[in-house]
Amino acid sequence: MAPPLLMQMIRSAPSELPALSRYAFAVALVLAALSLSLLLQVPFGNPFWFFFAIAVIAATWFGGRGPGWLAVGLSTALVLYYFIPPARSWHVKPRDVPFFLTFTACQIAANWLISWRREAEGSLRQARDELELRVKERTMELKNANEALLSQIAEQKRVEEALQMTRSELARVARITTIGELTASIAHEVNQPLAAVVANADACVAWLSRPTPNLAEARAAAERTAQGATRASEVIVRIRSLINKATPEKVPVQINEVIAETGALADSQASRNEVGLVMELQPDLPVVLGDRIQLQQVLLNLVMNGIDAMTSTSGRKRRLLIRSRLQADQQILVSVEDSGVGVSVEAMPRLFEPFFTTRSQGMGMGLPISRSIIESHGGRLWAESALSEGSVFQFTLPSASGTVS
Amino acid sequence: MKETEPVVFVIDDDKAVREGLQSLIRSVGLRVETFASAQDFLIAKRPDAPACLILDVRMPGLNGLDLQRKLSEAGTQIPTIFITGHGDIPMSVRAMKEGAQEFLTKPVRGQDLLDAVEKAIASDRGLRKERAQMGEIRQRFESLTPREKEVLGLVVAGLLNKQIADELGMSELTVKTHRAHVMQKTEADSLAHLVRMAEKLKNTLPK
Repeated sequence: MAPPLLMQMIRSAPSELPALSRYAFAVALVLAALSLSLLLQVPFGNPFWFFFAIAVIAATWFGGRGPGWLAVGLSTALVLYYFIPPARSWHVKPRDVPFFLTFTACQIAANWLISWRREAEGSLRQARDELELRVKERTMELKNANEALLSQIAEQKRVEEALQMTRSELARVARITTIGELTASIAHEVNQPLAAVVANADACVAWLSRPTPNLAEARAAAERTAQGATRASEVIVRIRSLINKATPEKVPVQINEVIAETGALADSQASRNEVGLVMELQPDLPVVLGDRIQLQQVLLNLVMNGIDAMTSTSGRKRRLLIRSRLQADQQILVSVEDSGVGVSVEAMPRLFEPFFTTRSQGMGMGLPISRSIIESHGGRLWAESALSEGSVFQFTLPSASGTVS
Repeated sequence: MKETEPVVFVIDDDKAVREGLQSLIRSVGLRVETFASAQDFLIAKRPDAPACLILDVRMPGLNGLDLQRKLSEAGTQIPTIFITGHGDIPMSVRAMKEGAQEFLTKPVRGQDLLDAVEKAIASDRGLRKERAQMGEIRQRFESLTPREKEVLGLVVAGLLNKQIADELGMSELTVKTHRAHVMQKTEADSLAHLVRMAEKLKNTLPK
């Protein structure tokens, strides 16, 4: 028996080898036991039959029940032939019958016990293998479930991003629509008296240009011209008071909280445009009295402008820095600094004019509205910029430290 | 034909605009009637004179375009000048399709408006003249006897006297007599003139 085969037999599950080699193995074991017994009998005289027991045990263990039986039969026959007196004959003396039967019975018992044990072990091993298989299967299932979950999470994230985009797009459209409607309505309101002004002024000129000027008619037309102009200015006053009225009563606001909220709102827009948002906020700032929503609108507007200014730059680090600090005069200074395209010297003085915009889709209303909001809060909003270096928009707000704390 | 004094109708919901336009148009010696709404204009009695209509497109109630459609449905043809604060292209196209004379944006330059008014009144004068002529022609044709009308129909269709005689079962001489009466009553100078008048009349008759 070659050692590698033996090793394989010991390691591998019983009865996995082909039947023929298992039987050959049983025969070889018995023959080995016979040789050893015969060899040892010469010097010691006593029959060393224990080897047969070992052969049967080994044959049964490694070969299974069938080879075990073969080993039992063969070793019984060989013992009978070689060792039961008279030796080398098939005869048994009546005196030796109990001994021989006991030997045979022991062999059978060994075979039976070993094969029982072996089968028990086999089923155990099978159970273990099945368990392993099941564990493998479960692991696979878990892995699959995990992958499905991951893809679901990714999908969810994608949907959320799409939703977010839709939402911000909607908000933008709503804002533009509102501004558009407001503009159209203001335009109509102002245009109406202007139409009267132009008609009356032209009429006045026409009455005066007649061969005999009709002064009474001309005067009436001139008076109506003045009335129309007054009416137009009244419309403007009304709109202004409407905007002022829209300013609700002021409440204490932590400007750093507003900045943080704005940063969170602008975060996705910033990361989409590869802009790093950096905040340097002075802690424990006194509160300001104001309209939280309006202040947020101002900040969001400045931040969005800053991001927009950087979308077309390349080769430069895109960084938007928002800072807050308390000045010596108890005013809170907030600055929004970008490294974007900057503002040209020509555009600078017009920056805060309504409808002035450098962007194709801009309304040109953001900065004028922001400035009017800051001014209605008793602050100031201004800009500093260098073309192709970036801009700083900053505003001050009076702190409420004197009145609150 | 006696020409009555032309009149300009101004419809605008804004009193100041209305007064301004009225004064402007009166300053060039035209008669002006103003209305605060399209409904007021529809129920008002309009003088039989060359006219034009100045309309603000954007008005509460019946708007300018609706009024124009109502008028053309009623068969009233008045050259119309639209004034709008927001002249978008679809609206101008619609107005022009309904027969707008001019489309001006507010505030209107006085001279532009007066030019448009002058053009519109001239065009209405032409229309009225044509309508009057047509009325006259119709009257003449209606004075024909049934027999003469039959002959007229066949003459205009290009049949010869002999063919007409066969068609109507009368002598050629009788046809000639009827034909002479037709020419006389319709005041036609020639056969061609008669055909032209008949064609025109046919075009204006209800289809």
